[in-house]
Amino acid sequence: MNTKQITKQHDFTIHDMEQLLIPTLCKIDRIIQETPDIRTYRLKFKEESLMERFTWLPGQFVEFSLLGSGECTFCIASSATRKGYFDCSIKRAGVVTGDIHRDLDEGEEIGIRGPYGNWFPLEELKGKNLLFVGGGIGLAPLRSLIQYAIDNRNDYADFTILYGARTSADLCYKDEIKEWQDNKTLKVILTIDKPEDTWTTNVGVVPKILEEVVKPAIENTKVITCGPPIMIKYTILSLKKLGFADQDIITTLEMKMQCGLGKCGRCNIGSTYVCKDGPVFTNEQLQGLPDEF
Amino acid sequence: MMDYTNQIQDIAGKLFSEGKIDVFIGYRNTGFDTNQVPALITHYKDVDQLVFNEKSDFNLTNYLKYEHTRNKRIGLVVKGCDSRALNLMLTENQINRDRLYIVGIACEGVVNELGGKAQNCLECIMPDAVVFDELLGNPTGKREYKINTDVSELTGKSLIERGILFEEVFENCIRCNACRHSCPLCYCAKCCIDQETSTLYHGANTTSGAFHALMTWSLHLAGRCVDCRNCEKACPSHLPLHLLHKQNEQVIYENFQQHLAGMIRDDRGAFYKYSLSDPDDFIM
Amino acid sequence: MILSCNENLNEMNLITYITDPAGLQKFYEAVISTHATFAPVETFGKFDYKPVTSLSECDPGSPVPLTRSMKPLFFPKSAKIMKYVTTSEGTAVSDTVDDPLAGKRVILGVKHCDARALQVLDHVYKWDYLDTDYEKRRENTLLVSVRCDEAARHCFCTSLDWDVEHTDAVDVAVIKGLDGKVYIQARSEKGTLLLEQHPPGEDDTSGSSAEEIRKQYASFAGSFRLSMDYKTVSAKMKNSFDSPAFEEASSNCISCNTCAFVCPTCHCFKISDEKIRDEGVRYKSYDSCNNVYFTLMAGGHNPRLVKYRRWRQRAMHKFSYYKERFGVNLCVGCGKCTVSCPVNISIFEMVNQVADTIVTASQSCE
Repeated sequence: MNTKQITKQHDFTIHDMEQLLIPTLCKIDRIIQETPDIRTYRLKFKEESLMERFTWLPGQFVEFSLLGSGECTFCIASSATRKGYFDCSIKRAGVVTGDIHRDLDEGEEIGIRGPYGNWFPLEELKGKNLLFVGGGIGLAPLRSLIQYAIDNRNDYADFTILYGARTSADLCYKDEIKEWQDNKTLKVILTIDKPEDTWTTNVGVVPKILEEVVKPAIENTKVITCGPPIMIKYTILSLKKLGFADQDIITTLEMKMQCGLGKCGRCNIGSTYVCKDGPVFTNEQLQGLPDEF
Repeated sequence: MMDYTNQIQDIAGKLFSEGKIDVFIGYRNTGFDTNQVPALITHYKDVDQLVFNEKSDFNLTNYLKYEHTRNKRIGLVVKGCDSRALNLMLTENQINRDRLYIVGIACEGVVNELGGKAQNCLECIMPDAVVFDELLGNPTGKREYKINTDVSELTGKSLIERGILFEEVFENCIRCNACRHSCPLCYCAKCCIDQETSTLYHGANTTSGAFHALMTWSLHLAGRCVDCRNCEKACPSHLPLHLLHKQNEQVIYENFQQHLAGMIRDDRGAFYKYSLSDPDDFIM
Repeated sequence: MILSCNENLNEMNLITYITDPAGLQKFYEAVISTHATFAPVETFGKFDYKPVTSLSECDPGSPVPLTRSMKPLFFPKSAKIMKYVTTSEGTAVSDTVDDPLAGKRVILGVKHCDARALQVLDHVYKWDYLDTDYEKRRENTLLVSVRCDEAARHCFCTSLDWDVEHTDAVDVAVIKGLDGKVYIQARSEKGTLLLEQHPPGEDDTSGSSAEEIRKQYASFAGSFRLSMDYKTVSAKMKNSFDSPAFEEASSNCISCNTCAFVCPTCHCFKISDEKIRDEGVRYKSYDSCNNVYFTLMAGGHNPRLVKYRRWRQRAMHKFSYYKERFGVNLCVGCGKCTVSCPVNISIFEMVNQVADTIVTASQSCE
């Protein structure tokens, strides 16, 4: 069947039906329980040739349909450099996500539309030091970029990953974090909010650890951050205090998106549509949006 | 022709200057239309915008539902039917009587756009305000209950004919929710129809969805509707919503000790009270 | 008669036929008998566009305040977009092929403001990802309008950014001249073909119709009660985000969604699934930014919980953001929102209050 796209810079959105709002079927290959309320669903297209054709850049999102229950927006949490599958990390937070956690098992089928949205500014990040600041489920979109950058390691300079969660049980991707810690070309700093018996490293909220432990230099560095709204707010304040410029702070916005196509109006802030002009924004661009959220 | 514009401006002015209220809810002209708009006046200087005449039709007790008026001291203008709704809200503990200054009107009926009296005014059973701090006009007392003429016509039709009529009603509903939002007695913070988990109502704007939503709504209002017609005037599809509510009102009047909503303070009647003379020998 | 083409419709030698009211009726009957036709049909005291098979069922000259827009013929209140079935072999997803609105059709009795609204909507439905359902419906529709004789109470189309007199939003314009004659003008190729197929009267070879049509417009334009200086208002709206006037102007709004649902340019929708056991349907239906739950996110955060923020979004989107993005205003000045509002709120009044171009409501117009 045909896709009907005009003037989009990248041409890889999967639509095998004429109606743009109809999803394409995927099978759940694996479910990984990351934390008590977050699961990662490893997905493959039901039709194998589609899986080969499907590609995306870090930062993009998909619309995930649990058919009969509803549709949600999730970022793709893995990089296209790792072929044959893509990951969505889903936190149980509302009606549809509750149904997803309760009803879906490995082998079951769900619907996917996408990829939509813009992506991290990969060209501008080349050659720079990258500082990733993540909190809780916010590591998911960052993971896509981290994996991409590791797979293209020579394109980037120093890597630092600062990641925190409320408790040690709430840290996502525990196995992958160990891999990152073993990788000598990366620096990983973890933190949790309150002390725990078996926790030996940092204790404190992410912005505090950023200022007191990481103490990043601003030269030639770009910061990519994502997490709960309150964490992003204070992280950006800390980064400004440390001297970072607005255009060097990059975040991905969590605003309610629905169609992903710039038509339903839900994600409209000012003259921006988060699903088309975002969800990746620099702090400079965020300052230009009306102060609504 | 009733006109209490001056009296209401005086009362509101006095209340503001004595510091007794935070907001006065009344009517004002729009300036480019003969319809009136509900006005929530917060300053003494705006008091001269207030009007009241036979075009003041919207039931203002609707504004007592909202968070931004609940904790304030409110001055309010109510006609007969409006005051019954207010009485019922007081009975159901939705608002504190101490925070209200109620200007009651002994209403002579409101007119529709063509200048004729509205149907619910022609069949009005209680034109005088039943709860007030001050009453304007000459009270004429309770009138005899009349069965709504459209409902009589409807009940004379066969079930099939009625089905066809209501099918057309439900098909034309666009689920805008104006009816529920303008009804004073629909004060639930989150209506069951708006719950995310209720796909029965919440999903698409289909005919069956409209059927379920409107029927549920009319049953939740049974025994509580005061026939102010806010809902019908609000409906952009001009649906005859009074056919649903007046029919319920008639059934309740005839079977449950002639109960009418909001006439007597603290009497919730109908489904909320059991009497030995109820038609069935068990609760339901 | 050959159409001499010129970008500016103003000076185009548009094909114009001159007839009388009886001839107009015959034209309508001819169209109805040869095309699938929609026209205003009375339902519960107001007019909706419904399919008709004879002229007696409808009234193409229906009164403006009681006529609802033809938006449902392009963007229905509820549309099935997908079906799915889960069996032991897996799930199958399919298109719902039976779209009752997709066939070729003519719409009679279109109001110019409604037609203009479709041109405004084209921008959002066709940018980047093309909405194929909408595109098909647009392509297959021929619009025959009736130009208003006079403005209704809440109309302000002439105050905005579109050319009401020469609009090419309609394919055929029916204009009832002040001289008692009826002028039927083609404003597009599709319109020209229809008129060639069913010539409604005499071809105007002398060009005298142009003068009568101009006169009718002048009389129509002079009948407006509402007018505003759009350029000033638009410039002020751009900087009005923090204006305290929004709170006061929206104080009596009851957040019911009616204005957005009847508005011919409002296009926000929601997607919802309904299922019975292993089968289900996905719907796309009307939604509105006026709804309390519009920006509610999982987890409870709701940036527009407070009412004036929703009204601010609505007014700014219509008069500022959409123009910034697509170059046209998202309001055509039809006044349907005010006619339908349960508490008679007028967006005209509200926008002027925010832009500070009137001091109180009573000064908005005599």
